[in-house]
Amino acid sequence: MFKWLAGKKSTEGSKPHSLMIDELKEQIKSQLNVGEDLTFRTLKRDGDKLVFSYMSSLIDTTALDEFIITPIQENTHTKWTCEAIAQILPIANLSAQNQLDKVVEGINVGKVYIYIEGQPYGILGDVSKTVERGVEKAETESLVYGPKIAFTESLIGNMNILRHNIKDINLCMEDLTVGTRTKTKAKLVYIKDIADEENVNVFREKISQLEIDYVAGTTVLGQLIENNSWTVFPQLVTTELPDRVTIALMHGKVVVLMDRSPDVLYGPSPFFSFFESTEDVYMRWNMGLALRFLRLLAAFLSVLLTPAYVAVLTFHYEVIPSPLLVSLGQSRANVPFPPMFEALLLEFFIELLREAGARLPTKVGQTMGIVGGIVIGQAAVNAGFTSNILIIIIALSALGSFTTPSYIMGTAIRMIRFPIILLAGFWGGIGIMIAFCFFIIHLLKLDTLGGSYLSPVYPLRWKDLGYSFFRVPTQYLSKRPLTNHPIDAQRFSVQKAKKKDVDE
Amino acid sequence: MKVDLHPKESLLFNAFLLVFIIHSVQVGVGIIGLPRIVFLNAKHDAWIAVFLAGVFTAVILWFMIMMLKQYDSADLYGIHADVFGKWLGNFLSFVYMLYLTACFSVIILNYIEIVQVWIFPNLPTWQLALVLILLAVYAVHGGIRVIVGVSFLSATGTLWLLLVLCIPLRYTDITHMFPIMNVDIKHMIKGIKSVTLSILGFELLMFVYPFVKEKRRALFYVQLGNLFTTLAFTLITLISIVFFAEDTLSKVIWPVISMLKIVRLPNLERFEFLAVSFWMLVILPNICLYLWAASKGFSRIIKRTQKMGIWIIAMIAFGASFFIKARYQMNFFTDMISKAGFYAAYCYPVILSIIVYLKKWLSRRKQSHAEPS
Repeated sequence: MFKWLAGKKSTEGSKPHSLMIDELKEQIKSQLNVGEDLTFRTLKRDGDKLVFSYMSSLIDTTALDEFIITPIQENTHTKWTCEAIAQILPIANLSAQNQLDKVVEGINVGKVYIYIEGQPYGILGDVSKTVERGVEKAETESLVYGPKIAFTESLIGNMNILRHNIKDINLCMEDLTVGTRTKTKAKLVYIKDIADEENVNVFREKISQLEIDYVAGTTVLGQLIENNSWTVFPQLVTTELPDRVTIALMHGKVVVLMDRSPDVLYGPSPFFSFFESTEDVYMRWNMGLALRFLRLLAAFLSVLLTPAYVAVLTFHYEVIPSPLLVSLGQSRANVPFPPMFEALLLEFFIELLREAGARLPTKVGQTMGIVGGIVIGQAAVNAGFTSNILIIIIALSALGSFTTPSYIMGTAIRMIRFPIILLAGFWGGIGIMIAFCFFIIHLLKLDTLGGSYLSPVYPLRWKDLGYSFFRVPTQYLSKRPLTNHPIDAQRFSVQKAKKKDVDE
Repeated sequence: MKVDLHPKESLLFNAFLLVFIIHSVQVGVGIIGLPRIVFLNAKHDAWIAVFLAGVFTAVILWFMIMMLKQYDSADLYGIHADVFGKWLGNFLSFVYMLYLTACFSVIILNYIEIVQVWIFPNLPTWQLALVLILLAVYAVHGGIRVIVGVSFLSATGTLWLLLVLCIPLRYTDITHMFPIMNVDIKHMIKGIKSVTLSILGFELLMFVYPFVKEKRRALFYVQLGNLFTTLAFTLITLISIVFFAEDTLSKVIWPVISMLKIVRLPNLERFEFLAVSFWMLVILPNICLYLWAASKGFSRIIKRTQKMGIWIIAMIAFGASFFIKARYQMNFFTDMISKAGFYAAYCYPVILSIIVYLKKWLSRRKQSHAEPS
C-alpha cells in the first residue's frame, strides 16, 4: 500500500545528474569542496564530448592513462556510447551510474567517472590507489620464534594474510561499517563451524549498534564494545600478529579487522589469555610451561613486591630475619622519608623513564633509558633519597610488568600498583590483603563478551587449563577450549593419537 | 510469595562448586580458636570431639537436603511460607534474617579483634569494619555467581595454609594425645557442642540450593565439602594437641596463630603476620554469603530490591561495630551467636525437615484418598 511512498522516499535523496557536461562539472564541484584535486579531462571526437572526472590524489595515474584513456583513444571505430566504451575498457571493477550522489561518492573513494554527453548514464571505473606501508616485522609484540609478519593498516592486505593462513572455506568475513561519518570498513571474521553463534552475534550487534562519528582503530573499538568501561583491565585482546589471530580463530574466537588499523581485535578473551604468548606454542611444551609460569609469577610479584616492602618497613619489622634487617636498616639509614613516600617516588621515576623512552626517537630513547636508570638511580641512593634495596625491588617489579605479552595488560598491572602501595602504607599487610580481595571480586565481576573473565579458573574448566594456564603436550589438547563454546569441539581424534602398546 | 525460586539459567552453578561453598563457609574465624575451646571441655580427646561434630554435621546436612528435595527449587524463605503460611512463615524468615545479619557482623568483629591483637592494637574497629563491609557489599552486588567465585577462589587459594601447619609438626610430642578416649561422655558432648561456632555456616545451603544446576548430586558434593572441613579441623586440632604442652593449650586464645609463629623462611619470620592478613581471604566468602543470604530476604519476603537490603544490613553491621569495645563484650556476643547458631543451624533444620516431611506425606495421603472417590 505504501509502496509508492517508499519509492518516492528513496529517490528523494538522490537524483540523476545533468546531461550537459558543463553543468555536470558544476554539480560535482559544488558537492565536493576539494579545489584543485578534482580533475576533469575532456575528449572530443566528431562533435561527441567525453569527460573523465576524478580526484587526482586518490587515483593511480598510470592505470588511468593505460587502461582507460588509451583504449578509448585508440579504438577510433567504436561509437561513443556507454555500452561500447564499457566493452573496450580492460578494467575489472566497472559500474553504470547516473545518480549524482552515487557518482560523487564514487569519485570520493578514488574511482573515475566517465561520461559521454547526452548519454543516459556514465561509467564508474575503479583505478584507486591507497598509500600503505609494506609488510614489516612486528614492533610492539616482538618474538624470538615464529613468523615475523605483522598486520598493516590495509584491510585488504590483512585479509589476504589471514586467508593465506587459513584456507578453510568456512572462514567467514562479514562486512561492517564503523563510524557514522568516516564509514570505516571493518570485517567480522570467524570460522563458521567452530565459532559460537552467540559470540558472533554479540560482536555483530554491538558494532552495528555503535552510533559514533569516528572510531580511531580497533583498540578504541574494543573499548567501545566491552561491557565494563570503568575497569583498568582490558576485556578484549588486540594484537598485530597474524599467527596469534590464526590460533585464536582455530580455537573458536571471533575476530574484528578494521581498515586503517594495524591491530586486530578478538574475543572472548579471559584474563589469563593476556599472559599467553605465541612463543609458548612454538616452544616445546615444557619450556612453554616454565615460561608461562615465569610470566604469571612476574606479574604477581610486580604487583606485590613494592607494596610488601612498604608494608614491612612501615609496620612489620618483625617479619624480617635479623641478618637481613641489619642490611635493610643500613641501607635505609640515610633515607629521611617514610617508606611509602620513598616507594612512590621511585615508582613515579621509573614510570617517567618508561614514558619518556616510549615518546623519544628510538635511539635516543634507549640511551636515555639506560643512562637515566643507572645514573639517576645511583645518585638517588647517594643523595639519600632511596635505599638500595628499594631500587632492586622497583627494578624487579618494573621488569616483571614488562614480561606480560600484552602491552595493555602490562600497563594495567603497573597502574594498579599505586593504590596498593598507598593501602600498604596506611594499613600494612591488611591493606595489601584488602586490595587483593578487592581485585579478586573485581575480576570475578568482569566479563568478556558475556563469558566469565576468570575462565578457565572460575568456572573451573579442567580441559581448558592446558591452553591458558598451563601448557601441556599437544596430544592432550584434542578438544578446543570450552571457554569459547566451540560448535566443533574436536581438534583431532584422540584414538589416533593414542600410544601403542609395547611391541605392537 | 512464590515458594519455588526459579533462577535464570545463567545464574545456576555446577553442583561440584558446593564443595567449595560448604567448605569455605565453614572455615572462618572460629577455627583459629577452635582447638582451645574444644580442649577446655574434651581435653586431649578434643580431636575426636571435632571429628564427631563433623559427623554430626553430615547428618544435619542430610536432613537439609532431604527437606530441600521435597521442593522443586525452594530456599528457606520459600519453605517457611509454604509450611507456616504468610504471617508465621514471614516472621520466622525475619528471625532467620536477623540471625544471618548477626553472624555477618560477628565474623567481621571477630576478625577485627584478631587483627587488633596481633597486628594493629590501635586500629579503630569501625575503620576496618567499614572496609570489610564495603568489600562484601561490592561482592554481593555481583550476585550469586560472583559470591560462588569468591568462595571457590578462597577455598583453593588458602589450601596452602594447611601445608604450612606441617612445620609445627616437627616440634610435636605424640604422647600428648594418649590415652585416647578416656574422656567421659558428658565432657565429650560438651566438646562437640563447643565446635558449633567454628563449623557453622553450612546452614547457608538452604539459601544457595535453588541455584544449584544438578540438584540430584547436591547431597554428594555437600557431604564432600563437609568431609573436607571435618578432616581439616580434626587435623588442626590434633596438631595443636600434640604441639602444645598440656596446660599451654588452654591458655593461648588463638592456638593456630600461635603455632604459625614458629614458621620461618630464609627471608621471612613471624609468619603469623602474614597468616592474620591472609585470613581476610578466608573470611571473605563467609561475610559475602551471609550478607547475600540475609539480603535475599528483602526481595523474597518484603518485595523490595535486594540492593536495598544489602545496604540496610551493611548499615546495621557497621553500627554494631561501634558497640563492641571490650574483650568481654566480644566474648558475650560470640557466645550468643554460637548458641543461636546451634539452634538455627543444627536443631531447627531437623525440626523443619520433619514438619515438611509430615506435610508432604499428609498431602500425598489426602491425594491418594481423593483419587479413588
